[in-house]
Amino acid sequence: MKDTIVCRCEEVTLQELEETARKYNSSARELKLLTRAGMGFCGGRTCRQAVDKVLTDITGEDPTNELPLKVAPPVRPLSLTDLGGLAKDE
Amino acid sequence: MNNRIVDHPVLGQIDQKRKVTFQFDGKTYEGFENDTIASALLAHGVRTLRKHEESGNPRGIYCNIGHCFECRVTVDGEDNVRACLTPIQENMVVESGQVQPHPLDPSKEGVKPRTYAEYKEQEGQK
Amino acid sequence: MQQLDVVIIGAGPAGLAAAIQCRENDLDVVVLDEFPKVGGRLLGQLHQEPSGEWWNGIEESKALQTKAESLNTDIRLGYSVYHIEKLEKQFVVHTKQQKFVTNNVLIATGAAESPAPIPGWTLPGVMSIGAAQVMTNVHRVKVGEKGIVVGVNVLSAAIARELQLAGVDLHSMALPTRNVVSEDQANPRLVMERLSRIAHLAPSKFIQFGSRFAKWKWVQDLVVQYYPKNGIKMWGMPIYLNKAIKQINGTDKVESVTMVDVTMHGDIIGNSEEEIPVDFVCIAGGLYPLAELAGVVGCPFIYSEELGGHVPVHNEKMETPVAGIYVAGNITGIESSKVAREQGKVAGLAIVIKEKNTSEITGKLQTAISEVKATRDAASIQFHPHIPEGRAKVSAAYDDLVKAQEVEKELEYV
Repeated sequence: MKDTIVCRCEEVTLQELEETARKYNSSARELKLLTRAGMGFCGGRTCRQAVDKVLTDITGEDPTNELPLKVAPPVRPLSLTDLGGLAKDE
Repeated sequence: MNNRIVDHPVLGQIDQKRKVTFQFDGKTYEGFENDTIASALLAHGVRTLRKHEESGNPRGIYCNIGHCFECRVTVDGEDNVRACLTPIQENMVVESGQVQPHPLDPSKEGVKPRTYAEYKEQEGQK
Repeated sequence: MQQLDVVIIGAGPAGLAAAIQCRENDLDVVVLDEFPKVGGRLLGQLHQEPSGEWWNGIEESKALQTKAESLNTDIRLGYSVYHIEKLEKQFVVHTKQQKFVTNNVLIATGAAESPAPIPGWTLPGVMSIGAAQVMTNVHRVKVGEKGIVVGVNVLSAAIARELQLAGVDLHSMALPTRNVVSEDQANPRLVMERLSRIAHLAPSKFIQFGSRFAKWKWVQDLVVQYYPKNGIKMWGMPIYLNKAIKQINGTDKVESVTMVDVTMHGDIIGNSEEEIPVDFVCIAGGLYPLAELAGVVGCPFIYSEELGGHVPVHNEKMETPVAGIYVAGNITGIESSKVAREQGKVAGLAIVIKEKNTSEITGKLQTAISEVKATRDAASIQFHPHIPEGRAKVSAAYDDLVKAQEVEKELEYV
C-alpha cells in the first residue's frame, strides 16, 4: 500500500509524523522542525490542521486557545527581490 | 478535447468571451478571456502542471483558490506563479515546474540529512 | 504617502459589505484580493433554498460588486497580502505590488479546506471539493469524466449537487478510510449526525427519518447499522456511509480508487476491496477559519470546535482586542455567506463610527448586529448545531481580555 502523505509540499508521511512525534515527544513546533511538515511552499496552510491532529492524538490533550503553530510573516512566499522593498509605498 | 460546461440549467449559457492563445510547455492552447491558466489547461484535459522539485511526483491543481501553491508554474520567466489565480494573456508563455538538481552532489558529498530528525539519526550512528 | 482609513483584505461577501458601508460614509478604502474575480467563495455557490428559490453566488457577488463600484470603491484584484505590520497607531499592509498605510484593517480572508489525507491524494486529478466548485461554476470547466467525492458533509453534499447540475458524472460519495487525521470524517455515526443538519435538502425519506430523531443516539445507531447496501440516494447519486476510499490509484494521474466496506464505527471489513475507475477525486475534509494574518498582527485566538477551529477573539462589533484590527466572515467561524455579509456590514459600520468619531449611526450598527443573529437563525445551511454557543464563548473571551487590558493600564498609571 502507498504511503499517506500529510504535508504535500515536503512530502512528509503520516507514519513519519507519528514516529517522530512519539520518538522525540515533540511539540507542534518541534515536529515541524524535525520533519519539515508545514515548512514548505504553502506555509502549512494545507496540512496545519492534519499535523495538529496527529499531535493531539498522540498527546491525548485537547486543543488549547493558543495556535499550535505560530504564524510568521510572510504568509505568502516571497522572492528576495520582492522582500528587498521594490514594492512602492502608497 | 473540450471540457467546457456550455449550457447550465441554472447559470445559463457560457459567456462567449474573446479567445486568448497562450503556450504551455511549447504547445499552443486556446482559452477564453478571464480564464485562469489552470482552467484554460483543464478545459483541454491538461492536469499535470508541475513535478515535485525533489521527488519528481506529478502535481496538478489542488485547492484552486491560491492557498496550496501546488499549481505553481513559470509565467513569462517569472517562477512560482499560481496557475489557479493567474488570468491567461495573449501569447503568454507558461512552463511547468521540473525536478530541481540537488544542491549538493550526493555521489561526492554522501547522503545529506534532509531534516533535523535525519541529522540526529546520522549523528547517533557515528 | 496616502493615508487610508481602512484596508479590507478579502473581496468576498464580508469584505464587500464592509466596503459598501465605509464608502457610503466617505472613508478612504482599498479592498485587496488575490483571486482575479470579485466575490470570494460566494462566487461558486449555487443551491436551492427550502423556498425553492436558487441562491446564485455569481448573481449575489455581482450585486455587491455593482453597489461597491457605484460608490467608487478601490478594489484591487491579484494582490496577495503577506504581512500586516503594526505601527504605533497605524498599520502597514504589505503586498508584492505595494504597501498600504492605514488606520484600520478588516481581515475578511474567509476559510481554507482541511485535508483528509489518503494514499494517492497528491496525484493530478485529486482536488479539494472547493476546487471542483470553482472550476465548475466559476470557470465553467468540467473537472473530469467521472469522479467520486471522498468525505460526506454539508459542504460536499451541496457541491456534489452542483457538479451534477453542471452535468459532471459522479460515481458516489463515500467516506475516507480512518486514520488519525480523517477520524471525524471517517466515522459513519458522526457523519450521520452532521448530515442530519442538511436533511431538508435531501429528498430521501431515510435521511429525514434519521434527522427527526437526531438527538437520540440509538436511532442514529440504528440508521447507520441498517444502512442500505447500495447507499442512500440523494438526487439519484448514492451516498455511502458504509463504504470508504482506501487509496487513490494511478501513475501520472488518477485512474481509479479502491473502495472498501466499513462498519458503523468506520473499521474496514476484510475482503471487501473494490476498484472503481474514475478520472477525478474530490476530497472534502471540511473548512477551517483562515486566520493567519490575524496571527501575524498579534490578535489573540480562541479555540472553538463549534466555529471550525481557532478564531481571532472579537466582539459583536467585529473588533479584535488589537485596536484598529477588525474581522468578519468565515475567519470568525464557519457559517453561511449570508451571515458573512451581515458581519461585514457590522464591521464596516463599526469602522465608520471609530473614524468619524460619531454616534449618529450607532442605531444602525445595533440593527446590523441583530441582523447577523436573525440571519444565523434563518440559515438553511448550518455547518454546526452549536454555533450560537461558540459565538458566546468568543464574546466572553473578548470581554475578559479587555478587562485584563484595563487592569493592566490602571496598574501602569499607578
